[in-house]
Amino acid sequence: MSSTPTTLESTPSPRGAHAGRGAGDAVAGKMSGNGTSPGPGPSFLRVLNSEFIKFRTLLSTLILLGSTVLVVVGFGALSAWGTGQFSEAASTDPQAAAAFASQGGDLAVGVPTSGIAFAQLILGSLGVLLMSSEFTTGMARSTFAAVPRRTPAFAAKLLVVMVTAFVLTAISVLLAGLVSLPILDNYGLKLDLASSQSVKLLLVNSLYVAAVAAIGMSLGALIRNSAGGIMSLVGLFFVAPIAFQLIPGDFFVEARKYLPGNTVEPLTAVQHVPDTLEFWPAALVLGAWVVFPLLLAAFLLKKRDV
Amino acid sequence: MIEARGLTKVYGDKTAVAGVNFTVEAGRVTGFLGPNGAGKSTTMRMIMGLDRPTSGTVTVNGAPFARHAAPLRGVGALLDAKAVHTSRSAYNHLLAMAATHSIAKKRVHEVIEMTGLADVAKKKVKGFSLGMGQRLGIAAALLGDPQTIILDEPVNGLDPEGVLWVRNLVKYLASEGRTVFLSSHLMSEMAVTADHLIVIGRGRIIADAPIQEIITGKGQSRTRVRSDQPDQLMHLLAGTGVSVELQENELLEVTGLDPRRIARIALESHVLIYELTPLQASLEEAYMELTKDEVEYHSLITTGADAPVQSGGN
Repeated sequence: MSSTPTTLESTPSPRGAHAGRGAGDAVAGKMSGNGTSPGPGPSFLRVLNSEFIKFRTLLSTLILLGSTVLVVVGFGALSAWGTGQFSEAASTDPQAAAAFASQGGDLAVGVPTSGIAFAQLILGSLGVLLMSSEFTTGMARSTFAAVPRRTPAFAAKLLVVMVTAFVLTAISVLLAGLVSLPILDNYGLKLDLASSQSVKLLLVNSLYVAAVAAIGMSLGALIRNSAGGIMSLVGLFFVAPIAFQLIPGDFFVEARKYLPGNTVEPLTAVQHVPDTLEFWPAALVLGAWVVFPLLLAAFLLKKRDV
Repeated sequence: MIEARGLTKVYGDKTAVAGVNFTVEAGRVTGFLGPNGAGKSTTMRMIMGLDRPTSGTVTVNGAPFARHAAPLRGVGALLDAKAVHTSRSAYNHLLAMAATHSIAKKRVHEVIEMTGLADVAKKKVKGFSLGMGQRLGIAAALLGDPQTIILDEPVNGLDPEGVLWVRNLVKYLASEGRTVFLSSHLMSEMAVTADHLIVIGRGRIIADAPIQEIITGKGQSRTRVRSDQPDQLMHLLAGTGVSVELQENELLEVTGLDPRRIARIALESHVLIYELTPLQASLEEAYMELTKDEVEYHSLITTGADAPVQSGGN
């Protein structure tokens, strides 16, 4: 046996920078030691750059981004056409006219964001996939060997995903608005894309989709499985609201308000919608849905084996 | 230099690595040899901070890997050929890795050239053969020009030319004063590549010595002797520390005596011997001897006691 000093007490501490030192002293002299790094290490900006390279070099990601634009613009156009038909009907059909009036008369303003549910589904799934694929492909071993503190890589990826989701949703909604304008004009409906309600709808929905993408990332990091992560996301945003509505009882009526998917309505409504939260509580609830899963995901990401 | 002290990893009720102590020194190729499931990969993942030790510590150049200021520049590792998103090209994978440490694009091209991936670098990793995947893993390990290189089963899936390339590469890296830690279950490869050997079985270190010492130490020198009078010769050779085994009608295998001594005894008693062949233990034998109690998965069909004896070291 070669030089094996007597066993040290085991120190399971993750911050055990000191732990190996005692044993190393005997031979430490000839090594330069780890402190003298021969070049730059993983600063946050470098990790961010790396995560952006990873993001833009996957064809599947680019396809999902492209389909988000197509779906949002497509639904905008469809919705413009539908709204036009509806308003036309309202001029002859008193029933439709009543429904039209109950909406405050301004149906056109919601047209550009009519495809948001799908943007949320696609970009939320993208959030799941970008994280879960790290584990399913084994890429995580490369990622965390380069960034062994792990959380900077997670934060960098989160930033890339959220900023992309926000910007892409905003652009898609804007494009949907521009495409809708001539269609609505055909029916004599006005849509002012620069009105405060239009801008609010664009910003809040873009932020909301970014939030959903972040929740997706947390799910991807926690579940580490693409199918499981996406199913959980769909469960939370699409199944739970319906299930909560079907189950009788005041508890579920109340609880339904706190589902993340039901926070966007009070955040964009001109006036309070029944059975939803007020603006600030809704903002806080959505924020909590983003922050707490992220904190848990980051904590477990640091703790669990890769 | 890599130092493990009391390093332990327990998964549920299964102990993968049981309090191992070892030191991997710079300037030589250290082989990490053990049967499947012995704990080699787990140990390497713990060195790289990917698996958290249940207890104990492992440091690289005096500090746990996770505390290194520039991890990729200090330690390069091939832990798994499939530590890559297979829908990305090899070049983009390396580029993303390099970006974390501001490693120049020039270096990315350099490691691609060095590992012979130039023709396929722009292709998706999905279509790579196992051997090309290994080359990409080695390219990634070399990216930061690290002082310490850890390679888990690097010759897996490589063609003979690739095997030779890895052998020369690790020897060259060690000759530059780097720490090279190489795992394998291929003893023949270890015998020609490693200078020092750490043998692990069932999560415990069962040998930690220069390779020559392991071969000569455990597998004692044996001699094959053919004689007309095997019974008489057996009687003459018997003594403490000597074992003689009648293998065939006139064939003996003698352990614990050198050929000159055997010849002299035979000469003095006028026993004719017509073959005297020194048998050098191979690393394989030494290894089998070391790990016979330690293998995790015994084959159902064992050759039993009459395992073929290999002649000549390789």
